[in-house]
Amino acid sequence: MENNRNDHHEEEHQPNSRKEMSRRQFLTYTLGGATAYMAAGAILPMVRFAVDPILHKKTDGAYVKVAEISKITNEPQEFTFELKQQDGWYPSTANLIAWIRKDETGNIYALSPICKHLGCTVGWNNDKNFPDEYHCPCHGARYTNVGKNLAVSPKPLDTYKIKIENGWVYLGSTEPNTEVK
Amino acid sequence: MAHGKKSDEKIVFVGDSRVKKSKGFIVPPDYTAYPGKSEAFIPNFLLKEWMVGVVFLVGFLVLTIAEPAPLGFPANPSATIIPMPDWYFLFLYEYLKLPYASGDYVVLGVIGVTGVAFGALLLAPFLDTGKERRFYRRPITSSLMILAIMAIVYLTNGAWTHYSNEMEATGQKAEHIQREEEAREKRAKGLPTTNAIATKEVAIVEKEDVAMESYKKAGCITCHAADMKGAAGPSLRGIGEVHDKDAILTIIKEGYGDGKMPPMYDNAIAAGLTDKDVDHLAEWLAKQKAE
Amino acid sequence: MFKNIYNWIDERLDVTPIWRDVADHEVPEHVNPAHHFSAFVYCFGGLTFFITVIQILSGMFLTMYYVPDIINAYNSVEYLQTQVAFGQIVRGMHHWGASLVIVMMFLHTMRVFFTGSYKAPREMNWVVGMLIFFVMLGLGLTGYLLPWDNKAYFATKVTMEIANSVPYLGPVLKELMQGGTIVGAQTLTRFFALHVFFLPAVLLTLLVGHFIMIRRQGISGPL
Repeated sequence: MENNRNDHHEEEHQPNSRKEMSRRQFLTYTLGGATAYMAAGAILPMVRFAVDPILHKKTDGAYVKVAEISKITNEPQEFTFELKQQDGWYPSTANLIAWIRKDETGNIYALSPICKHLGCTVGWNNDKNFPDEYHCPCHGARYTNVGKNLAVSPKPLDTYKIKIENGWVYLGSTEPNTEVK
Repeated sequence: MAHGKKSDEKIVFVGDSRVKKSKGFIVPPDYTAYPGKSEAFIPNFLLKEWMVGVVFLVGFLVLTIAEPAPLGFPANPSATIIPMPDWYFLFLYEYLKLPYASGDYVVLGVIGVTGVAFGALLLAPFLDTGKERRFYRRPITSSLMILAIMAIVYLTNGAWTHYSNEMEATGQKAEHIQREEEAREKRAKGLPTTNAIATKEVAIVEKEDVAMESYKKAGCITCHAADMKGAAGPSLRGIGEVHDKDAILTIIKEGYGDGKMPPMYDNAIAAGLTDKDVDHLAEWLAKQKAE
Repeated sequence: MFKNIYNWIDERLDVTPIWRDVADHEVPEHVNPAHHFSAFVYCFGGLTFFITVIQILSGMFLTMYYVPDIINAYNSVEYLQTQVAFGQIVRGMHHWGASLVIVMMFLHTMRVFFTGSYKAPREMNWVVGMLIFFVMLGLGLTGYLLPWDNKAYFATKVTMEIANSVPYLGPVLKELMQGGTIVGAQTLTRFFALHVFFLPAVLLTLLVGHFIMIRRQGISGPL
C-alpha cells in the first residue's frame, strides 16, 4: 500500500455508477462491524446486569395479619402492621399504617394514609374544621371516608389489597383506589 | 451563523503572537527510515489488531461463563484458613518466607532485595544505557531478567505447592469450592443457599397473646412504642434476655433506673387491668427472647 | 445531520487534526502481524488496554450493587453473584480480567524489555509503564479485599503484617493502610476508596501520558 494512502482510490470510485465499494470503504465497514461486535460482547452482559431490577418478576407480596374483623367499625380505625421485605441483599421490616373501615354493606376496605398529593401521612378526623374526613397536615388535602379526594390532591387514597381469613383481616400491597366511583 | 454552509473558508483564530504556531496536534514521526510497507492505523492496521481482539474477547467471555468468580464465606476473624494472596503476589509471599527475607533479616527482605529489584526494573533504561537493542547482544541485562523470571516462576510454584500440600494435610477445601458445593446441596433440598450475614431484628414473641392488649392498655406504649421498639423508653424486644419475670414485675411495680420509668402498676389497674393481667404481662415480657 | 454538527464544532475548535492524527498515522511493517507473524508480540499493549477498558466498565457496573461495609459487602457481592441476572458474568469479567491484565501487562513489558524498546529516547515511557504496572498491582491488592470473604480478609492481614515489618515507618504505615488498629470496617472503606477513586485516577493519568509519548516518539524501529 502506498504511503500517501488511498485517497485517490476513493476519487476513482466515487463517480462509478455501479457503486462498487472501495477497499478502504470495505475495511472501514469491517472495522466498524468488529468494533460493534466487541462493544456489544463486553457491554451487553453489563447492561442486562444493570437493568435487572426492572426485569425482576414482581411478586404479589405476602399478606400480613392485621386486625380482627369483630373490631372493625364504620368509623375508620388506625392499625399498624409490619411488613417484612427483602430489599436486594437487605432484609428489612417496614412499619405500615392502614385505616380500616367497613361500609354500610359490610364491605371491609383498608386505606393507605399516604397522601396522593406529596406523600405526607393523613389522619382521620384530625382537623376540627372538617369533621369525618381524612386530612393531610402538610398542604391541607382532604379525603372522604372512602378515600375520595376532596381538595388539593389529584387522586383518591390508595387501598391495600385485602384478604379475609378465619375472622382476621390480612393486608397485602397497595393498589389504586377502587372504592371511589 | 455568520458563515453559511457553503463557505469553504476556514476560520482561522488569531492567537497570542508570543505562542509559536504548532504544526498540528502531534508531529507524526517519519517512518521512511524503516524498511517495508507501512499502512494507515485506521482502518487497515486497527482491523488486524481487532481481529486478535475479537478472538480474545470470545475466549474471555467463555472463561467468565464457564468459571464463576470465586467467593468464599463471609470474613470471620476466628476462622482457621490458610491465607492466600492472589496468584500474582504468590512469588512475593513465598519469597518473604525465605530465611534471608524473614526473621532477623526481615528488613533486608522487605526493603532491601525487593527495593533493589523493583527499583532496577523501574530504572532499567538508565542502567542499561548501551545503544544495542537486541537481547542476545546485551547478555548481562537479558540474563538478569531471565534469572528474575525463573525466580518468579520457581517461587510461585513453591508457594502453590506448599499451599496445596497444607490444604491436603489439614483436609481443607478452598472455601469458594466448599461454598459452591454446599449451595448445590442446599438447592437440591430446596433450602436457601445464602451465607449472608443476618442483621438481627428481634421479633415479638407470641404477638397474638392477650398480653399484647394489656401492653397497649396499661400505657406501656407511650414510652416503649406500639411495636415495642422503644421511643422515650428502651426497646422491649428481647427484654426476656435481660430480666426474668419477677424482675419485670418489680419494675412495673416500682419503676426503673432512678425514676426514669415511674411505677406503672397503679396506672395499669386504673386502665382496667387486673392483678392477674399484669402478672401475665410480666410473664409474656419475660418470654421476649431473640431466638 | 451529524456531519453538520461535526462541521459546526470543527469550525470552532478545529478538532479534525486531533483525530486525523490518531486515525491516519502510519504503522510500520515490522509491527504488522499480517507481514511477519512474529509481530503478534506487539499486540500485548493493545490487549492490555482493551482489558483495562473492560475492567473500568465492569467495575462501574459492579458498584451499582456493591456496598463497602463489613456487613453488607459480602451480602451484596453474594446477591449480585447469585441473584442478579448476568451478575456472575459481570463479576467474572472483573475478577478474571484482573488476572488477565497482569498477564498481558507482563507480556507487554517482556516484549519491550527484550526488544530493547525502552532505550533512548523512550526511557520516560518505560518509567511511566512501570508505574502503571505498580498501580495495577495496587488495584489488584485493594480489590482483593472488597468481597470481604475469609480469603480476602486473611490475605489482607498478611499484607498488613508485611507493611508492618518496614523499618521505622512500619507500624504507622500499617495503621494508615488499615485506617485503625485492626483490619476491619475502616480498612474496607479505605481500600474501596483507593480501588475505585484514587488508583484509577492515577492510572488514567499515566495511561494518557503513556499514549501521548508513544504518538510523539513513534514506535521503536525494527531490530
